[in-house]
This record gives sequence, structure tokens and C-alpha cells, in this order.
Amino acid sequence: MTKLLRVALHEYKRHVFNKRFLMGLLSIPLLGLAMVGLVFIIIAIENDTTPLGYVDHSGLLADPIPAPPPEKPDKPVPLVPFETEAEARAALEAGQIQGYYIVPADYQTTGRLTAVYNDKLAGQARRQFYDFLTVNLLRNLDPAVANRLLEGSEVIVLSPDGSRVAAESTFLNFMLPVLIGLGLIIAMFTTGGYLMQAVTEEKENRTMEVIVTSVSPGQFMAGKIIGDVAIGLTQIVVWVLFGALIVIGGRDSLEILRSVQIAPQTLWLVVLVVLPSFVIISALTAAVGAAVTEAREGQQVIGILVLPVWIPYMFMFTLMAHPHSPLAVVLSLLPFTAPLTVLARAGMTVLPAWQIALSAVIQIAVAAGSLWLAGRVFRLGMLRYGKRLRLREVFGKAD
Amino acid sequence: MPVIELSHISKSFGAVKAVDDVSFSVEKGELFGLLGPNGAGKTTSIRCMLDIFKPDSGSISILGGPMTEAKKDRIGYMPEERGLYQDIPLERCLAYLGSLKGLSEAEVKRRAAGYLERFDLAAHKHKKVKELSKGMQQKAQVIATILHQPELLIVDEPFSGLDPVNTQMIKDLLREQREAGVTVVLCSHQMHLVEELCDRIVLIDHGHVMLYGALEEIRRQFAANAVLVKGADGVPALEGVERVEPVNGAVKLHLRPGVQPQEVLRELVRRDVPVEHFEIALPTLDEIFIRVVQGRSGF
Repeated sequence: MTKLLRVALHEYKRHVFNKRFLMGLLSIPLLGLAMVGLVFIIIAIENDTTPLGYVDHSGLLADPIPAPPPEKPDKPVPLVPFETEAEARAALEAGQIQGYYIVPADYQTTGRLTAVYNDKLAGQARRQFYDFLTVNLLRNLDPAVANRLLEGSEVIVLSPDGSRVAAESTFLNFMLPVLIGLGLIIAMFTTGGYLMQAVTEEKENRTMEVIVTSVSPGQFMAGKIIGDVAIGLTQIVVWVLFGALIVIGGRDSLEILRSVQIAPQTLWLVVLVVLPSFVIISALTAAVGAAVTEAREGQQVIGILVLPVWIPYMFMFTLMAHPHSPLAVVLSLLPFTAPLTVLARAGMTVLPAWQIALSAVIQIAVAAGSLWLAGRVFRLGMLRYGKRLRLREVFGKAD
Repeated sequence: MPVIELSHISKSFGAVKAVDDVSFSVEKGELFGLLGPNGAGKTTSIRCMLDIFKPDSGSISILGGPMTEAKKDRIGYMPEERGLYQDIPLERCLAYLGSLKGLSEAEVKRRAAGYLERFDLAAHKHKKVKELSKGMQQKAQVIATILHQPELLIVDEPFSGLDPVNTQMIKDLLREQREAGVTVVLCSHQMHLVEELCDRIVLIDHGHVMLYGALEEIRRQFAANAVLVKGADGVPALEGVERVEPVNGAVKLHLRPGVQPQEVLRELVRRDVPVEHFEIALPTLDEIFIRVVQGRSGF
């Protein structure tokens, strides 16, 4: 194993097998699980299956077709017919039904209904009664046509080259690349924090001096950055696995999760654009860590330096509404802004191959430059105990 | 061929010239002392040797040529300010530092176990480094320095913070390394230990080499024209003695210019004085250090 990999492995193990990291790692998926759990709890509370009554004066429901089964997670609510409003009211007062509808004789011409209840009717009970009415209004049509009308259309969005297919109705599929981008950026910043701390600690506790007599500054920095990126990817993989578990476990119960899919384009963008950006941020973090005197100061500097990462977030709606605008193209190519921009656009459109290729080349070139810079700053700044490094020194003649 | 050869190296930091035209060499298998007061340029010289800093001018040869990555595995360096990872267990820290010197995991484990036992640290190997006492950390740092059995050992103040028992342990270790053919550069303020251990020394002050050579030769160079005599019934007044100075039950006879110690010995024998001890009075390294450093400062 080369020294570079040993440094990377040490960096990785040092942070990953640490209680603080594990807590941070699990906190986001646990938060996600808690949110899904909360949705289920709200649904369970809303899922009032107390029967719903109706009094039909129109004759539409004299010999009714039963209501179609509700969509999950709704549970079927029994629909109970009453001959008279007095009977229905007595049942409501006795608590046998949650409320009742009066279907007037002129319902088919006016569409007017009267609902009587003490507490507001549960949403699912209302939905099921409307479906019940609709299905009976459509009873004279071909059942297949009636069913189509009832379910509505599902539009599949297809890119011209056929490389990307998505259901138009799924909001989550638009947002998924953005969520992945945000997850990666959170991972970049958290692991960047670890890296910063590690470099400044090594400087403060003088481990640096021992290390540089064992490995070259370039190998050391590259090893640390590889370890840092690996830590970030571990976070992402764990989060994605949790997400997949939520999708697989919840798709039978939640409609929105049923059509979740990640387009191959998103994966390519992550590999070609986001990962090099991760290296850029890590390398700059390491460079700042080597140049400053303490971690807190470094975090302030890096916080300002990587502020452009959030620029696409400010233009998110513009980017999604006009994914091929000049602004979108420029932000897709620039370092720092590229990761979030390309992923936001990926949710809405297919990016031209030349833009992906050019962005990837730019990010990889800047990543290589950042690694060089990190090695240089490290060499110059590693033994400057209590003294900051100046930009003039970094870009001046070789030490 | 010398193991280390510094030839006219200079290194400045801004307006401060840390090292100015320094030259010396360290021969294979010797225990070499690198001395100097605080801020004299010792650490800068070491960092130049180890290629941590590039000198502004001059040349350095280490293990037969310029420093390379491969050579780093043949060198052990213990800096004055200790450098160990504080938040990880001692054993893991040693394993990592050993692995960076090219040792396999199994080999590091095997060697570390022996050294930990020898330095009474075996019971503490699972403790985090920060939980160890200063002395223990010092010993751990020594282990990290010699774990890969280097050919060249550079140790900066290895005795600081150690009690007499552990000091003796490190002294024995350094002697043992020399006997095993390892070249040792010892940087220390504790002159009596340097005097005890080193074959040759270089003394740097204000970035300049002030003294360089075999320790005995340097002591002779600095010897005043004096002899140390202990007689069973005291020492009578003698011809050619300028001044008599009592020293630990003996007397130091400062001789007039031109008077040889042999003449004093001959006179003592002629007078039948019962002599228990007679030696040329050589200055201690401490005295030489103070004389050189203060002399340069104009004291």
C-alpha cells in the first residue's frame, strides 16, 4: 500500500470510527425517518373510518355501484344510506356516523350537496364519497372509460433522445437531483470541517514535523483529501441507502414514493461534476487549514471562500423554469456553482453533452490546481507556528 | 563518506538570518552533538538537513546525496516539540507512524510490542495519547522514532521532561543505537549528557558555527594552563604556579605562561609529595559553551 493510501486510510478511519461522526451520519436519515413517521401518524389520525351517511333524494344512488377502493394510505370508509334526514341525524347524534350528505333531487343539474356534521369530515371520507358519486354518475359509460375518467391521465415526460423518462406528476423526481446536490454539499462542508480540524491540529500539536519526514507534502495532502472525499461519500452512500429503504418500505403506503427514480444523467453529473467539486472544496479547506493558525479562523476563511456554492440556490426557481438560459449554462460551468446548478437543471431537462463535458473538464482542471495549491500551501505553511501565510508567499518563487 | 554533510548553508526568514554559512559533517556510526543556545539555528539546520526547508544557499548531502522520498524511510527524527496524535490510542498512533516509514502492519505491531514492553508502556497501549503523562509521551515519541530501525537518528532534546531512570534508559538506547552502527545526531542543552555521549560536536550560535570537532580536542583547545592535583597531605607551594584554586578536595594549579604541567609533576616527585591524583585541568563542555556564547555576546 502506498503512503498516500495509508494517509487516506488513517484519515478515513480516524473520523469515520468516531462517535461524533456516527451521530452526524445517522442524524439526517433518522430525521428523514422521523418525518416519514410523522406523515404516517398524521395519516393515521386523519384516517377516521367511522361510517359516513347519505340521504339520496335524487335517485342517483338508489341502486349504487360501490365506491372504488381508496388509494393508499387511505382506508375504506363505510358509506351508509338513510331513508330520511331524521334517521341520519339520529345516527349522527348517536355517534354511529361522522356526518352525512344530503343529495337533493336536482343534484344532477345543480351539482349541489349538503353536508351535515358536528366535527369536520375527514378528508378521506369526503374523497371517498365524491368518488362514490362520480362512479355512479358515470355508470352508463363503458366501465373502462369511466375508470379512466376517474383516475385521470398519467403523463410520461420523455427527452428527445429517449435517455430520460419521468412521470410528470411526480414532484419528487424534479426535486431529487437537487436534494442529492444539497446532500453532497452538506457532506462536503461537514467533512471539510473535519479536514480543517485535522490539519490545524497536526500543525498545533507538531505532528506535521514528524509526518513530513516520512511522506512528501504532496502525498500527505492528496492522501488527506482522498480520505476526506471518501468520508463524504460514505455519508452520501449511507443517506442514499436510508433513502432507498424509505422509498422501498413506503412505496406501498405513499403514492409519491411509487414513481421515484434517479435518471442515469444525474449519476453521470455526480461523478463528472460534483466529485471534482468535492475535491476542490476539500483541497481548499486543507490549504486554508495549513495556512492559518487555528481551526476557527480557518472555518471563517473557508466559509467566505466557498460562498459561491450557494449562488444557484438563490436562483433555483429561475434555473428550474429556464434550465437552458445563459445564466444556467454559465453557472453550470463555473467552479463552486456547477454542482448545484447542474443537478437543479437535471431535474427539469437533459443537459447537452458538450456542457457536461466542458463543465467536467473545468472542474477536474480546477481540482488538480487546488491539489497543487494545497500541497504548496502545506509545504510553506506547515511549520509556521502562530504565523499566517501570505498570498504573496504562496504564489511567489518556490521555497 | 559522511552520512550528513552541510556545506556553507544559509537560510533567512524575512530579515532574520537563521543560519549563516554553516558547514559540518557527521560520520557514519558516530554520536554527534548539535549544540547551541535557544534561537541559535539548530532546528533550522536540522530542518534543512531533512529537506523540510530548502536552504537559500549552500548544499546538503544526506545518506550520500540529496534527500529523496526513499531516504525518509532510513531516517528517524524526533523533533523538540513532540508530535503525536493525541486523540487516538497509543498503539494505533505508533502503527500509523510506523506504516508511513514503510513498515507492514504486522511488522509495526511486532516491533512496537517489544519497545512498549521495554519502555514500560505496554499496559498503556490502548490509552489515548493525551491520557499519557508527559514522560510517557516522550518515551512513546522515542519509540515512534526508532520503530523502523533507521540508519540515521536525529533526536532533538530527547531528555527533556524525563526522570533520572528514564534519562538513563534513553542514554542506554542511544549508546545501543551507536553500537548497532546507527549514526546519531543529538541536539541537547544538557551539556553533561552531550559530554557523556557524544564523540564530536558542533556548536552553533546566531546562525554561525562557533566550535566544531572531536569533543576531547575542543576541551584541550579550551584548557587553561592548569593542572588538577590531589595530595594525601595537601599540595605545597610550587615554583611556576600563578594561582591556586581549591576544587572538590583537590587544588587547581594555574601555571605561569611557559610553564609545562610536566615540570610541576617533576617538582612534586622531587619533593616526594604523596600525590593521589594528577591531571591536566580540562574545562567542562558547560564551561566551554558559556565561554563561547558569552564571548560572542560581548560578556
